[in-house]
Amino acid sequence: MKRIWLLVVSLCLFTTTLHAAGLEDKVVEHTMKNGMKLLMVERHTSPTVSAWIRFKVGSVDEKSDERGIAHLLEHMLFKGTTTLGTKDYDAEKPILDKIEETGQALIAERGKGNKGDKSKIELLSKQLAKLETDASKYVIKDEFFELYSKNGGVGYNAFTSRDGTTYLISLPSNKLELWAAIESDRLQNAVLREFYTERSVVMEERRRSYDADPESKLWETFVASSFLAHPYGQPTIGWMSDIENLTRSKAEQFFHNYYAPNNSIVAVVGDIDTKATIAMLERYFGGIKPGKALPPVTAVEPKQAGERRIELVAEAEPALMIGYHKPAIMADDDYVFDVISMILGSGRTSRFHKKLVIEKQIATEVGAFDAPGSRFPNLFVITANPRSPHSIREVEDAIQAELDLLKSEPVAERDLQRIQNKIEYEEARRMGTNGGLARNLTQYEAVAGSWRYMTEYRSRVKKITPGDIQRVARQYFSNENRTVGFITKKGGGK
Amino acid sequence: MKWLIISLSLFSLLITSACGILGTLPKADPRTMTFPELRFQIPKAERVVLECGMPVYLLRDTELPIINMTAMVRAGSVYEPGAKSGLATMTGSVMRSGGAGGLAPEKMDDELEFMASSVESSIGSDMGTVSLTTLAKNFSRTLQIFSDVLLRPDFSDKRIEIARKQLIEGVRRQNDDPKEIAGREIGKSIYAGHPLGNVLTYASINGINRQEMLEFHRRFYRLDNMILAVSGDFDRGALLKELNAIFAPAAARSPLLLPEVPQPERLYKGEIFYGKKDVNQSVIRMGHLGLSKDSPDIYAVRILDYILGGSFTSRLTTEIRSNQGLAYSVSSHFDIGRRFTGSFIAETETKAESTSRAITLMKEIINGISKEPVTDQELSAAREYLINSFMFGFTTPASIVTQRARLEYYDYPDGYLELYRDRIAKVTKTDVLNAARKYLHPEAFKLVVIGDAAKFDKPLSSFGKVRELDLKFTIPTP
Repeated sequence: MKRIWLLVVSLCLFTTTLHAAGLEDKVVEHTMKNGMKLLMVERHTSPTVSAWIRFKVGSVDEKSDERGIAHLLEHMLFKGTTTLGTKDYDAEKPILDKIEETGQALIAERGKGNKGDKSKIELLSKQLAKLETDASKYVIKDEFFELYSKNGGVGYNAFTSRDGTTYLISLPSNKLELWAAIESDRLQNAVLREFYTERSVVMEERRRSYDADPESKLWETFVASSFLAHPYGQPTIGWMSDIENLTRSKAEQFFHNYYAPNNSIVAVVGDIDTKATIAMLERYFGGIKPGKALPPVTAVEPKQAGERRIELVAEAEPALMIGYHKPAIMADDDYVFDVISMILGSGRTSRFHKKLVIEKQIATEVGAFDAPGSRFPNLFVITANPRSPHSIREVEDAIQAELDLLKSEPVAERDLQRIQNKIEYEEARRMGTNGGLARNLTQYEAVAGSWRYMTEYRSRVKKITPGDIQRVARQYFSNENRTVGFITKKGGGK
Repeated sequence: MKWLIISLSLFSLLITSACGILGTLPKADPRTMTFPELRFQIPKAERVVLECGMPVYLLRDTELPIINMTAMVRAGSVYEPGAKSGLATMTGSVMRSGGAGGLAPEKMDDELEFMASSVESSIGSDMGTVSLTTLAKNFSRTLQIFSDVLLRPDFSDKRIEIARKQLIEGVRRQNDDPKEIAGREIGKSIYAGHPLGNVLTYASINGINRQEMLEFHRRFYRLDNMILAVSGDFDRGALLKELNAIFAPAAARSPLLLPEVPQPERLYKGEIFYGKKDVNQSVIRMGHLGLSKDSPDIYAVRILDYILGGSFTSRLTTEIRSNQGLAYSVSSHFDIGRRFTGSFIAETETKAESTSRAITLMKEIINGISKEPVTDQELSAAREYLINSFMFGFTTPASIVTQRARLEYYDYPDGYLELYRDRIAKVTKTDVLNAARKYLHPEAFKLVVIGDAAKFDKPLSSFGKVRELDLKFTIPTP
């Protein structure tokens, strides 16, 4: 098992005197026969490595009776496999099957609402609790975490978004094979044990992240109201009633449909030798069978034909969100929106900051960004916190004035040059950490089709003219195309 | 240097030919697999003293064409009078936003952002920092602005008023998010009577004037009261020349006398605070004073922390989240104080209907760790994690130099980093038990609960006398 390559790379530690090459020259690509895509960058700053694996499936891929499943499945995939996380899978499995049967019966009975049999519900709940206790005897708690952790792994985590699901960790660089062993096992032999308890954990996550935090609750309502047909509107975590009706069987089905090597992107960045890494990863992942072709997301959001105003009454000070529909990543106009968001909302020289925060002093914070995903047409979002006693309406009017100015006045060349300079700096900075680079590589490979989106970005943006910005502002920043969300303070002065 | 590169390419030839053999190796079992040895040496930063006497930590790294720099200044909100809560925060913020060295605020913003450089300033409880990041080609100009912000801020009246209004708006919004309320209130109650327990108020922010900010800055921001840390793509000789020019020895001033700030009083007295919010989930925080870095027990406490509530396999997370599904987030943490006694805080959020159950469980679990020794497995898991993940403290040149500067700033003993892993390795089960008994007193916890008491499974009064927080305060509208 001793392998020389890991020792060799440590020699490189202090030999990098050649000047930094661009990302283009540093990324090594490899596609396995089963379709799994590897992106690697050698960085020998420290003897560490970050490994990210992204599956091109997010909540946008869920059907209406699956809402919340992509995220719940992400939680479940930390529960082990047929060999890890269990003392005896053969003994455990029949109980797990019983649990699923009981869990489904309970959901069915509860689904009857008032007509449900209360005593049956109580009996099934008790049975479920008893079975879960029985099954727990076989569980080795969070063994993935334990194995990574004792080997010095940090930042072991995962996140689910509208567009994708990503699992990540950083390890001492001599331990990369541990990652390959665990992740390839998880991909083939995952067991979704402790399902119904974990579902309760996710309900607590929902309460914590959305229900009890007014600004997040406004955000959820605002995004949902912006999309009537497209699944971008549904919250990734699912509505509470969605989560209550999810089953292990649904999660397993989703897993088998979407977690295939041909639907995944791996980024390994850090103190590695790329050739040896390819050989090692082929050994663990190369034999996994590719999955079926994936169903496309077919829903198309109809053109919005009038302003939507969304009010949330909450025990909180006023907050404002404005969203305009716009095209997806890679569309020509998407790059123009990036420039607009930098002009309006990025830094102390941005127009919103200068006008609303410094000059008029009617807001404390104003931001501009894209959401809630990039794969499909999304929103250009502006958020602001009014400064008392200034009203939502005053802030909205001031924002409108800035949008109108973009339509009527060409942006100065100096503003565009500042953006070019900023992108140049970001190109360098983003190569400064293993994890940050792994995140960008997996993200852009997944949503833009290639990580080269990053290397081509500056020249794409350079082509944008002041005229492009005026055209895009006129085309998209109309009242009909927007949704406005705001918090009204409960009992506040009315 | 050239021969090294050549020898490396020879090595990679060997690697290529070895790959064929590797390809046939069996897959390893994650439980038993072994790994090639990894030699890790703690990266060093060079310490240089400028002509003015200021220590500078340097680490050159040319991977990226970027330079990062931080000045750590012995200042902090602990030195502000209680009635002036916010003086340090405002001073730190307006040093940057209010113009410096005669450069007007909007000109400074424009110049920095046009270069994609950044200079930022802030003052925390026991440290002031001014930091710089820039493309190497723009270093000299950015350094000039950095030094003006650090030493010659202009404190524009207009910008002071904007900063004041922003802080007041922050106070107005401080009860919007239940987690934020709970975090503030637990800190306030643990450090009651100490400057660390002071919070910003409408009155304190309104009472601060420009003169006080100028004096606060002048008092602490002097060349003999700060440490620099620089990393990135610089030429050592040229950099030192620039730093010596820009931080030229100043005219002698009387020695800086930092006022003695007492340690927080060790009063272990349980209290319960409740704040009403119309929400379906309760925010729970409990804790008391902890220990500082000067205690020899810090290594045992690091292990204790990991086992009790500091990891995904901790006792609190395993029971309350994984076994019972009562929470998404549950943890506990000893914040080891550097200048002052630190704190221990345990926290979770759970649906209103399981509030009392979660509090009871948390206290039981925390109590339990003082009753008998942790298991061998728990001890070794914690030790291995702390030792094997140690290298992640040194992954960027900037983190390496700022860490070295911070060790000097807080007077850590020589060899602290070098001996850290050995000291962790020597911690025994008895040490952990003794630490738990010494530093954990659940009967004396300050308990803060924010939520809707009408929906709780049991009244909070079953834990003792409850004091209700006033979350409905009003701020005069200007």
